[in-house]
Amino acid sequence: MLTAQAVFYYMAAASVASGLLAVTRRNPVQSMLWVLALFLHVAGIFLLLSAEFLAAVQVIVYAGAILIFYLFVVMLLDLPDEEAKPRFGKHWPFAACVGVATTLLAWLAQGAVAPAAGRLPDTGAAFTGSVAELGKALFGPFALPFELASLVLLAAIVGAVVLARKRGERT
Amino acid sequence: MIVPMSTVLAVSAILFGIGVFGFLARRNIILMLVSTEVMLNAVNLSLAGFSQHLDDPRGQVLALFVIAVAAAEAAVGLGIVIALNRNKPGAGVGDLTDLKQ
Repeated sequence: MLTAQAVFYYMAAASVASGLLAVTRRNPVQSMLWVLALFLHVAGIFLLLSAEFLAAVQVIVYAGAILIFYLFVVMLLDLPDEEAKPRFGKHWPFAACVGVATTLLAWLAQGAVAPAAGRLPDTGAAFTGSVAELGKALFGPFALPFELASLVLLAAIVGAVVLARKRGERT
Repeated sequence: MIVPMSTVLAVSAILFGIGVFGFLARRNIILMLVSTEVMLNAVNLSLAGFSQHLDDPRGQVLALFVIAVAAAEAAVGLGIVIALNRNKPGAGVGDLTDLKQ
């Protein structure tokens, strides 16, 4: 149990550190690699929270697909003066204040939600985080939202193709 | 649960704050989009924590939908970045002032 706690605190500290490095690095490719470290550590936290399927999806979809997509775009675009220009806007102290305020607000809000466990409707069988139960939920009560998610992804594919195509180009 | 729920929520809140800071402070449009991904990941972390705390699969289902929408957002957002880059090379948001006139 103590080992699991130590691993959790390592994962938490490493995700916060790599998140901070990701938003402050000058080179976009380095930022992307720190975001990759962040995603992998968050996947580890998912494992500790007994969300195995979520951890797998995090590694496959986030780290494997979305982040590689971002890296491709960073490397495809010609960003000549990215290293020379300041990486932050002039208003960055204000942005830092907003970030800290958001964190504090979320921290204060947890006092309101944490005792809510007894008030939520009981779903019957105890949930152990197994993939089978998640699948039953996904294809049972959440079947319609699941199908809608595929529609959202289809719209995104079509939208990305339309946006990235050259103007007036016939396919 | 191996750690208290409040610890998970604190990590999630800190990550969300980092994402907010990155979105507001960075000038590179791609890194702004990545900051939104960091924020979405923080929310997923809370959802997974709640799912375990409340012993309920619905939190994880919601996190899966968040991941699906994040993938869609990345595709459309980067499509917009590529289209912008075609009209005006570079990825700084400071140059995108065409709507002013």
